[in-house]
Amino acid sequence: MPRTTMVESPGCPPLRVLTTDVLGLVKVLEVQGKVGTPKVVETWGSPDASRSVIATSFADCQTNPLLVIARKNGLIELLSPLSGETLSASKFSELGLSSFSAEEDPVAGLHLFKTKNAGLSSGINVLLICTEKGKAFLKHIPLKDASPSASTEDSCRNWDISGAGKVVCSAVDSKENYALFGGKGIELNLWNLESCSRIWTAKPPRVNSLGIFSPTFFTAATFLSKEDHRKIAAGTSNFQIRLYDISAQRRPVLSIDFRESPIRVVREGLDGNTVYIGAGIGDLASFDMRTGKLLGCFNGKCCGSIRSIAKHPELPLLASCGLDSYVRIWDSRTRRLLSAVFLKQHLTSVMFDSHFSSGVLSIEKSNSRKSSTKKSKRKHGEEDEIIESYVSPSEDEAMEMKLSLRKSSSKKKKSKTMKAKVDSLKTA
Amino acid sequence: MGSAKRKSSEGEEAAESDGEGKKKRRVLPSVVRNKEKRSQLYSVLKREKRIEKRKKTKAREAAEKKALELGEEPPEKKVPRTIENTREPDETVCRPDDVELFASNDTDEFNKILKQETIPKILITTCRFHSTRGPAFIKELLSVIPNAHYYKRGTYELKKIVEYAKNRDFTSIVVVHTNRREPDALLIINLPDGPTAHFKLSSLVLRKDIKNHGNPTGHKPELVLNHFTTRLGHRVGRMIQSLFPQDPFFRGRRVVTFHNQRDFIFFRHHRYIFETKETKEEDPKAKAAKADKSKSITKGRIFARLQECGPRFTLKLISLQHGTFDTKDGEFEWVHKADMDTSRRRFFL
Repeated sequence: MPRTTMVESPGCPPLRVLTTDVLGLVKVLEVQGKVGTPKVVETWGSPDASRSVIATSFADCQTNPLLVIARKNGLIELLSPLSGETLSASKFSELGLSSFSAEEDPVAGLHLFKTKNAGLSSGINVLLICTEKGKAFLKHIPLKDASPSASTEDSCRNWDISGAGKVVCSAVDSKENYALFGGKGIELNLWNLESCSRIWTAKPPRVNSLGIFSPTFFTAATFLSKEDHRKIAAGTSNFQIRLYDISAQRRPVLSIDFRESPIRVVREGLDGNTVYIGAGIGDLASFDMRTGKLLGCFNGKCCGSIRSIAKHPELPLLASCGLDSYVRIWDSRTRRLLSAVFLKQHLTSVMFDSHFSSGVLSIEKSNSRKSSTKKSKRKHGEEDEIIESYVSPSEDEAMEMKLSLRKSSSKKKKSKTMKAKVDSLKTA
Repeated sequence: MGSAKRKSSEGEEAAESDGEGKKKRRVLPSVVRNKEKRSQLYSVLKREKRIEKRKKTKAREAAEKKALELGEEPPEKKVPRTIENTREPDETVCRPDDVELFASNDTDEFNKILKQETIPKILITTCRFHSTRGPAFIKELLSVIPNAHYYKRGTYELKKIVEYAKNRDFTSIVVVHTNRREPDALLIINLPDGPTAHFKLSSLVLRKDIKNHGNPTGHKPELVLNHFTTRLGHRVGRMIQSLFPQDPFFRGRRVVTFHNQRDFIFFRHHRYIFETKETKEEDPKAKAAKADKSKSITKGRIFARLQECGPRFTLKLISLQHGTFDTKDGEFEWVHKADMDTSRRRFFL
């Protein structure tokens, strides 16, 4: 017999992940039941390279979640992440925002406001769009079913981030008052979204002892913690991860070199200290930004550039995707690969739908969300138990997980016996 | 000393006993310390093994013959277990019913060439310093790939060359990298926007070192791409395919083969000719008369004869990079990493 060693992937707890790819498809992965490998449950859209997804933003709300997608052909679409139906689609050029076509000036960043989403009742959503040539727009986009009067009175604010250079990364803090931009030839700069004014710009680091200056090229940026908008983590094309503190200085407080490949993604952790780094050669690592120490790498045969990392807002889970067309789900504490799914195309972004049948509100929500899968509804009870035990605060996460799974399985057995009893009663 | 003696005597016994009967043949030659005795024992074992094997094949052939006479189904031929057919199951292997595969084929970078909307035009250049085998190899590459043009590298950066080639409507750049006067790497850059494949090049045999080699004609060659199974392999295969014109001149009878086996891509270049058996048997008339029966069977059977016309080399993919050549800011679609080599039955192409 051939000697083969199959490393079993432990599987993930129930979750729902959305991915977008270069052919413009949106795929939904779900784990149903207790623990398992994610499976593609739905695919939205038809394969078309001109509809390739460039940027996405996901409002992960309890009610009325919304997904915004910027496509290569200049289309900005609002999708319902539950059913996949297009709520609104508008051409970027037709919005009257830019004089350039979508090919000349593609969208570089997209953000859908959650807190300022005043318009859910009126069906208007506020979007922050920035293009590669450094134009930023705050735009109200009405949904299809919104009244036309609402769309006419929309306001649009726009400003120039920079005259030269190319915007690559953008981020909005969790309170949605500040926006961050950076890119090729553009130093990081922070804008106040209320007044649309620039409040801070970074300075390039000093030349080194040889007098060599590396050109500015920011590829990723994020706000480090949720409460504080003053700490910024950024990744550069010259292999550096930098920490900026806007209350302290304009030069980076900390800069760490990470291997020899450009940083592609920087994603903040939940605790406000850790960041997760994705590199162009397929390395995934986590850093503690207080000390600048490498906490560890995520090993799992990642062989293509990482384009997107998503952190689950509650569970210690991390999802990554990229040019190797795999979505990988990791345990963010132990850095173990939980499962990997091959999705056939180069993927551009990955998002967690954290409200997937979780909490006590699940029944209520299942009414509001027209969840297309009936199986998931049926299994709500069991999943809730697991997630509760999963979320419960504990240090040793891996142990906790195992224990909880065991517990839940025993509970499940109990519930099954209960069900059987009920059934027998019914039949009687 | 004593122990050594004892051992050798044991070996002797073993050898003797081995000659006598089967049941005592448990002593392995590796146990015996005396070389002479050991080789004796070994030869005996080997002989027996050979006889057994011959018996087996005879029995098998007899069974086959019997089945043929009786008109039954012959016993199934056993398929040897190789590394290829015990390959690890891979979810990335292309399937013919995959809609997304064809959709991505229709939109990828090579589509224009493969649909014959543009004619491939190749720029071949070298690394900065090259000598001896490098130029000879390039000379032969020029004869293999139609519409290929050699440009001296000079001291230009590769990024500049990419720009230059883009402006001149080249569709691909091939860079031959030489180390110690021996070509050791091949870089294929698809233009205008990638991807870039980096291959390790090994076991290069030039035309003049191949015995009885032929000289290629200037016709457009036929292309054979074998066993590019996974999505990555499919992409690499399409990339190689886009180097050659898509309308081969079949009467030129010239074939270029890229054969993938265990992630190594073997390159061969042949001329072929069709011959009928009939014509060959006419020449030795005496033989034809003798083997009259066989002649009547094989009459008019057409077979192909091959003549290799070099070069001969092996490629191994090191990385596939998204976009044109950019080592610093480049994103990789696939890189070979050490932690992927945990099984010898896992292949990526």
